[in-house]
Amino acid sequence: MARPRRSRRPRTILLILVLVSVTIVTLDARGSLRSVTSGLRTVAADSMSPVRSLVNAVTRPVGSFLAGSVHYGAVSQQNQKLQAEVGRLRQQVLQQNDAEQRLRQLTALENLPFAGNLQEVACQVIAYNTSDFAATVTIDKGRADGVTIGMPVVGSGGLVGMVVLASHHTATVRLVTDGQSVVGAAYGTAGTPAIVAGQGWGKPLSGQLVPADTRLPRGTLFSTSGLQGAAFPPGIPVARVIRASTGTVASQEIVTLAPVVDLAHLRYVAVLLWGPAS
Amino acid sequence: MRRQLAVRLSLVVVAFVVVQETLVLEARVGGVHPDVIVLLPIAAAIVGGPARGAIVGFVAGLVADLFLPTPFGLSALVGSLVGYGVGLVTAAMDRTAWWLPPMAAVAGSVGYELLYAGLGALLGQPQMLHVNIVGIVVLVASVNALVSVVAVRMTNWALPAASTEGMPTSAGVSLR
Repeated sequence: MARPRRSRRPRTILLILVLVSVTIVTLDARGSLRSVTSGLRTVAADSMSPVRSLVNAVTRPVGSFLAGSVHYGAVSQQNQKLQAEVGRLRQQVLQQNDAEQRLRQLTALENLPFAGNLQEVACQVIAYNTSDFAATVTIDKGRADGVTIGMPVVGSGGLVGMVVLASHHTATVRLVTDGQSVVGAAYGTAGTPAIVAGQGWGKPLSGQLVPADTRLPRGTLFSTSGLQGAAFPPGIPVARVIRASTGTVASQEIVTLAPVVDLAHLRYVAVLLWGPAS
Repeated sequence: MRRQLAVRLSLVVVAFVVVQETLVLEARVGGVHPDVIVLLPIAAAIVGGPARGAIVGFVAGLVADLFLPTPFGLSALVGSLVGYGVGLVTAAMDRTAWWLPPMAAVAGSVGYELLYAGLGALLGQPQMLHVNIVGIVVLVASVNALVSVVAVRMTNWALPAASTEGMPTSAGVSLR
């Protein structure tokens, strides 16, 4: 008995789609498609920006209220009126704490000792990690405000990351903890050069090119080196040493660092209008 | 007919992208957020088979890539493969069974996230393997299992019912 033949059409379609996808990924990685994809991403980000603002304006107060109610778990159901009142008061307290935290971050941005004479653009963080596979934040300023790809982004304590995508009114910042982030740094009184590399969202940073048996006490500060051609201006605090040890066969010190900025609770940041050429 | 299909499919893709970029991005657990766009190729594969699963995966992936800092085209590549795979595996199954959408959503989401990390690393992004992959897989698969029925219904509206002709159902007759 002849076996029924399975149609080849789906396989052909899959093959074509895979080839097209791989071609797009390859061309984008080489930079050949960068202008096209960058333009499309700009249009997409600019289109999504008002939608995101609208949805956030509607959902955030509801979310805050629900969060406040959930925290007040001891109130029984028959006291609904009282529960609503407590929830409302709790929401007010949360909002006040929230406002105080925002004020602290904004005040700190007013006086950044490491920014020097560099111009800066204060921005609000409007989204965290658009991908689970990259440590990024989205800010509410873009090319219309002078923000372009490659500019350093700082928080109240030091370096936050670098702008990697910029649309007209928003930009994506790659955090120093991202696996692709590499920062030229210096430590100690002599300003010994090293590299601070990200290892992924929520993970500590890795100090590299530190010679074995270097004495690095806990808390030693790593700042941007600003060497010729560096991606960041000099003197911006990046991270502090958590621990350092020498492996049995390693020629380098194994250095674990913590970012100086609390990257999990970013509300406001500043983009330094600086490029390697300046 | 094709124009209507394209319009409806575009509406569904845009709806999923808007939900992903607004509500879902805010729902983070331990720094990880769900990914409902993964459901589109899975739902399309259940409704329309491997070819439509692959095509919807490619289109939805390209749109999703516009909002992601990861390599452009990677979501399209993985979406195509997952859509085709789910369509192939579920081809001989009863597509009207209540358990199929959540089961396919879990299996498809796990496959999608692992493929995404693996292919990303293969295509020059090794740091994509150094993420909380277990947390991502568990969260994405769980949320997608819950939302899968809605995704299948929306995709069923976008893709003509004739596409399921000849496929097995619980009643033992072909869908028309």
